[in-house]
Amino acid sequence: MPKIRVMPTLLFKDLGLVKGVAFDSWRRVGSAMQAVKVYNMREVDELVYLDITATSDGRPPDFETVDDLADECFMPLTVGGGVRTLEHVRRLLKVGADKVAVNTAAVEQPALIREIADRFGSQCVVVSIDARRRADGRYESYTHAGRQPVGKDPAVLANDAEAMGAGEILLTSIDRDGTLQGYDVELTRLVCDAVSIPVIASGGAGTYAHMADVLRDGRASAVAAASMYHFTEQTPLAAKQYLREAGFSVRL
Amino acid sequence: MRAIRYCVRCVMPETKPDLFIDGDGVCSACRNYERRGAVDWDQRRHDLQAILERYRSKNGESYDCVVPVSGGKDSHFQTIRLLELGMNPLCVTATTDHLSSIGRRNIENLKKQGVDYIEVTTNPVVRRKMNRLALTQVGDISWPEHVTIFTIPVRVAVQFAIPLIVWGENPQNEYGGPAGAAEDNVLTRRWLEEFGGLLGLRVSDLVGREGLEPKHLIQYTYPSDEALRRVGVTGLFLGYYVPWDGYSNALYAQAHGFETYSQPVEGALVNYENLDNAQTGIHDYFKFLKYGFGRATDLACLHVRRGRLARADAVKLVRMHDGKFPWVYLGTPIEEIVKSIDMTLDEFIRICDRFTNKKLFECDARGNLVKDRGGNLTKINYDNP
Amino acid sequence: MKRVAIVDYGMGNLDSVARAIEECGGSPVVTDRAAEIENATHIVLPGVGAFGDGIRNLRARGLDEILREHAVVGGIPFLGICLGMQLLGSRGFEGGVTEGLGWIEGEVRRLEPAGEDHRIPHIGWNEVAFTRASPLFAGVDTGHDFYFVHSYHLVCHDKEDVLAVTSYCGGFVSAIARGRIFGVQFHPEKSQRLGFQVLRNFLAV
Repeated sequence: MPKIRVMPTLLFKDLGLVKGVAFDSWRRVGSAMQAVKVYNMREVDELVYLDITATSDGRPPDFETVDDLADECFMPLTVGGGVRTLEHVRRLLKVGADKVAVNTAAVEQPALIREIADRFGSQCVVVSIDARRRADGRYESYTHAGRQPVGKDPAVLANDAEAMGAGEILLTSIDRDGTLQGYDVELTRLVCDAVSIPVIASGGAGTYAHMADVLRDGRASAVAAASMYHFTEQTPLAAKQYLREAGFSVRL
Repeated sequence: MRAIRYCVRCVMPETKPDLFIDGDGVCSACRNYERRGAVDWDQRRHDLQAILERYRSKNGESYDCVVPVSGGKDSHFQTIRLLELGMNPLCVTATTDHLSSIGRRNIENLKKQGVDYIEVTTNPVVRRKMNRLALTQVGDISWPEHVTIFTIPVRVAVQFAIPLIVWGENPQNEYGGPAGAAEDNVLTRRWLEEFGGLLGLRVSDLVGREGLEPKHLIQYTYPSDEALRRVGVTGLFLGYYVPWDGYSNALYAQAHGFETYSQPVEGALVNYENLDNAQTGIHDYFKFLKYGFGRATDLACLHVRRGRLARADAVKLVRMHDGKFPWVYLGTPIEEIVKSIDMTLDEFIRICDRFTNKKLFECDARGNLVKDRGGNLTKINYDNP
Repeated sequence: MKRVAIVDYGMGNLDSVARAIEECGGSPVVTDRAAEIENATHIVLPGVGAFGDGIRNLRARGLDEILREHAVVGGIPFLGICLGMQLLGSRGFEGGVTEGLGWIEGEVRRLEPAGEDHRIPHIGWNEVAFTRASPLFAGVDTGHDFYFVHSYHLVCHDKEDVLAVTSYCGGFVSAIARGRIFGVQFHPEKSQRLGFQVLRNFLAV
């Protein structure tokens, strides 16, 4: 089996990196370059880089910034934010992204996923799904950085994405994001059970135990976290050491 | 190209980490400063005296507190104020990277105020390697110094069994960090890692690089939670108990023999701070490259908030002095500094470009940074449109 | 001086490979021109995408012939990465049946789950177990993790061509070698320290 992947997420807003809470109250954190370099030094399993205002600003992905960062990134890099055309994907792959994450466009133009998969291969298409728990206990998916409800269950959306050729799902719980209160394990399990492609759990990690929970009970293949790592007391490496002790198969 | 937004009261840009600009366009640092008006400083002074009394040695056989100092204006103020309050402090200096002669004179002057003083100088050969690593890995040549500034006094406190550490200002308060931190008056390990300017890097990350081993990094190693608990180490920020002002600290210090520089320090606006480390010019420059503001901005904001400088004048001064390429700092040419960390000027400039957030500066049609004859960059905007 | 020609056939993470080669002491040249490939000390064929598109793009640029001339005949050390390794096979079954370069006897087939929770594409770090010794893996112990991201794999007819296998989806070939022609299913340019060791070893051939 491939090892469980532990990956940091970098969120880029306007001019620099940010951390948020429930996709709101964004707080500026350090420079993207130094974050990439530190993670590179630490040999993390993968890095996820998301430009969270590209779609709402109506602009394409920032190829120059990705190019600069990718130059310092000697580990797998997934880039998302504002990806809407095949050309965007081609350029991102060219400047150094290994996988491209598609969120809003996956809902607005589902055929795009098929196009990207056919042209570049499923393995480089990550469909990013953001979801909130509804009052009735079920889940709603959102696009536009959590602002527009799709009217579809995330498990259904994930299943559709797989059918269109997506290679991986990046699943984020909007409610939990930035709260350090733990992943939404139930949401993760629902989506993992609905697809046969890998699912990366995201949103809410605060402790290593949270990661173990979502891997064990949520059945995720990988765990992403952002806020947890911005306070350097906790690191991806220590997370993996914890997970290994807990019986998971990780790369150390 | 999205413009940089600035606070409408001071001149701090939104790009500063941990700064927040509210709906009225006012930044969190200005808001924090506003709140000072509501503080009962008498009560705070009273609280401070109560804490000091609690920690004062009962039999005079050990020091009453550790005071982390550098020899600068704040160090002078802190130390003298504690002496005035009847404390017997142990001053602790973590020696800076590249001590200037004026810095040395000021340290000696601080000792003359009448205190026992420990200078902990780390292995300079190792330090140079760490300066170089930190510069290339996180774009901060002063990273090792920051670690020691926050670590060495705590180590001394543990080793000498002195529970109380009296720090100066809480940077998050003046510089506008999140509310939780601004009211923190104790520097815990968690605070250090979140706000101590460690940029996500840990000392352990350096082991194995350039031949560094744990045995070289003893002074950079923060004491364990167990050791801290055993001694009962607690720290507080003096800046919580008195209305902190760097300028009045400077006046106080000068009146006690503190020496200022002959002219405003390069890249800044004043001659009374950051006088002890020739590498500070590089440190400040990288702040500018990453976030679009340097020491001149910091200082201008401090003075604007206190009504000593009009905002329009501050904008002009910042434009003139902020973020200039640090060819010389405190009279030390940059060639000397980069040579001491085993680097060529070309390599240094490449690293500068690497860490520059291109979104903040003017670039040409090919996406390359536009530099003037002196190698200086130009921001896309220096004030709100 | 190691002049490494990184073949540009419109598919692939050229920048990543070039940067990695640079970090490993090589001088990368991203190119599709015969003259530059001929002049190189090493050739790398990266690849991200579908087999059919890959081989068509190579042929459209005449690169199938150019590469055969210089790698197979000329003996310039050659490394195929991911799709670049798969294209060396006789044929591929991704998106129809297509003829490959045919330097290595075998077919490219889709990975099939062989256990519960075998998810495809195969994405992540997995163990590479050597079946025989090779200069490509000097200084690397067997069973260590490298980064994979693929849905297809090359089935080799000749066991002599196999260098390493990875146990997933019933087991698949993760590295091949024939003379100075090497192929790796994983991405050495993304596999950090060990990946760089493999690249350095390749540059030393």
